[in-house]
Amino acid sequence: MQGLTPQQSTIQARLPFVAIFLILMAAYLVINLANFQFFPRSVRQELEKIGSSVTSTTLRLPAERGLIFDRDGEPLAFNIVQYRLGVSPALVADDEQLMKLMAPILDIDEFELFRKINSENVWEFVAGPISAEQGQAIAALDELSLGLEEIPKRFYPQGTLAAHVIGIVLDDGLVGTLGVEGAFNDTLSGRVLDLSISNVPFDLPEDRPAEQRGNDLVLTLDRDVQFWVESELKAAVEEYKAYRGTVIVMDPRDGDVLALANYPTMDPNRFLEIEDPSLLENAAVQDAYEPGSIMQVLTVASALDTGAITPYWTYNDIGLIEVGGQEIYNRQFQSHGTSDAATVLVRSMNAGVATIALEMGAEGFYSMLRAFGFGQPTGVGLFAEEPGDVKIPGDTNWNESTLGYNSFGQDLKVTSMQLITAFSALANDGIMRQPRIVRQVIGEDGVEEARPTTVRRVVSSETAAIVQDWMKRVVREGAPGAFMRGYAVAGKPGTAWISTAVGQEYGEHSTIVTFVGALPASEPQAVILVKLDRPQQYYGHAVAPHVFKRIADRLVILLEIPDDEVRGRLEAADAVTKAGES
Amino acid sequence: MSQTWFQHTFSRKRFRTRNQATALAILGVAVLLILGSLYLSQVASFAITNREIEDLISRRDQLKRQNEQLIGEIASFRTVPRLYARAVEIGFRPATNSDINYLLIEGYNPQRANAQLEARAGRQLEAAAPVYEETFSGWLERQFTLLRDQFESFGS
Repeated sequence: MQGLTPQQSTIQARLPFVAIFLILMAAYLVINLANFQFFPRSVRQELEKIGSSVTSTTLRLPAERGLIFDRDGEPLAFNIVQYRLGVSPALVADDEQLMKLMAPILDIDEFELFRKINSENVWEFVAGPISAEQGQAIAALDELSLGLEEIPKRFYPQGTLAAHVIGIVLDDGLVGTLGVEGAFNDTLSGRVLDLSISNVPFDLPEDRPAEQRGNDLVLTLDRDVQFWVESELKAAVEEYKAYRGTVIVMDPRDGDVLALANYPTMDPNRFLEIEDPSLLENAAVQDAYEPGSIMQVLTVASALDTGAITPYWTYNDIGLIEVGGQEIYNRQFQSHGTSDAATVLVRSMNAGVATIALEMGAEGFYSMLRAFGFGQPTGVGLFAEEPGDVKIPGDTNWNESTLGYNSFGQDLKVTSMQLITAFSALANDGIMRQPRIVRQVIGEDGVEEARPTTVRRVVSSETAAIVQDWMKRVVREGAPGAFMRGYAVAGKPGTAWISTAVGQEYGEHSTIVTFVGALPASEPQAVILVKLDRPQQYYGHAVAPHVFKRIADRLVILLEIPDDEVRGRLEAADAVTKAGES
Repeated sequence: MSQTWFQHTFSRKRFRTRNQATALAILGVAVLLILGSLYLSQVASFAITNREIEDLISRRDQLKRQNEQLIGEIASFRTVPRLYARAVEIGFRPATNSDINYLLIEGYNPQRANAQLEARAGRQLEAAAPVYEETFSGWLERQFTLLRDQFESFGS
């Protein structure tokens, strides 16, 4: 210690304490570091998350929803962007000028805007959703204090056209509901992505991956046919003062739904403004109802096919029959004497079909009902399709009289889609095609074609031909309103009473009228179902066939179906050409 | 005299050491400055490029949205009611069945090719059409089995 100044001696004396202190601190840090490394996984992940939140932001990017087109490629649904506008009042340099620039773009009160711009809050919501044009005009102001947030929006350019077929999208464009938007939500919606965006300026910005996008759908709908069907349905509902109505047009050869309309309808672009929720119901697949005497055709076809009756079958009609203790009467209590099966259909004789159903027996009858597809959804591809309600022997509420009532379409519930699918099977030589609304799915991997598929053969070719022939007679003699010049039409009108929980709905106009017709009868290319709920006209044969005719008149032009004479000449010429070739 | 002073100055060991350290420190600082400025210029260049890429992505998205907006507007202008109203305005009217004349050309059937294809497809579909063979009692039995299975699975 010699030669050291007192100051140096003091430093030397204190140095060990400092060294020990530093060693202890270092040890403490090392221990903490080690401790941090051995944290439980969940705690470590949480800490990592806190750490990464400083350097990055996670954005939840909704996938771009697939588009929807009609069969000719006309857009029915696609996406647009709207904006939500906010302001950071602290960053506003000149509030008065900003207010004057923004007010005409947003078309809002200047005073209200000024109040928001000068708010005490860090961030103040200004307006939204605002249109893309307004958003772009705001962005062009290049004002640092303004912030625009994108809101994806589904847009339906055709307005109310095919609203129930297309459906709607909820939750800022994320969840489809109703129509194909709901039924094909998984296909359309794509993949929602959580994209981590770096806040570090020299990290490469990430782009939205292309595979995130949803698939596009091409429907079987024909936009022009749909328009005319909707126009005629609206006119009919208004003319006959019906509560509501439904029309479906189907191509029986492949099960394609060419048009599906309900009226009253809704505008999917403004569905939030709808006050009556029943407007959102797609009655064609969701409203199961008692179809009435239109079912007589299917009862007769079933009996013919199972051999319970022959084409030459007759019976003596006295106007009523007792089934299971219940008396079933003909319309207006008429009796028709000796009648054949065709007459039973032409005169819509309830007692006649009840007799036929009894001859067929419950087992045969209900087996055929299932074969025609009743009691189960058709699988057409629309949201929340109802299976209907068919009581069968063994059910607590089934008794023998149920068979009698079911034979002419009472005491059972079916949807319009089930009915038209069953009648399309008859029109298509007895073969039931799978009804479908989606024709193609277009994705990243190309176009996936939905080929027409066959459900089953319901009745034999011979039965189908005989019943089609009888249905032509029904139109000629029983439903002249559906008669078309130049075209043979096979069809059947039906009127049904409306049952409620406490019995039958009473009232002068408490009926649902339906007409199903196929044209041209010899080679059906379209089956049309018209249903009017509680029209001011009493019976279906007086109302629905007229609507059918108005639609069919337009349909033969739109689908380019030549009349019977021209088609006959074409076929004859074709036969000659074929004979020449062979 | 001057030589003595010079020798005196430069022969001092301590001074030489300090001089070297200073030179090294200056050199180190210079190297650090060069590296720092290189790093900063690189980072600035990255940041500028990324900003440009971001702008381009945002511009592309904006153009895409504008394009979609235009498609929407075009589709709105092409709706059937609008086209129909315009057609009526300029004097057209919907054709009726009687307005349409079909001309038959000997030996030519425009629908024949399609008809043949459709017939072939129809035959294939028909061949594949399963015949509905289920009996009512069979169906009831199946329903009963399903119900029993449901009860059994509920119990277990």
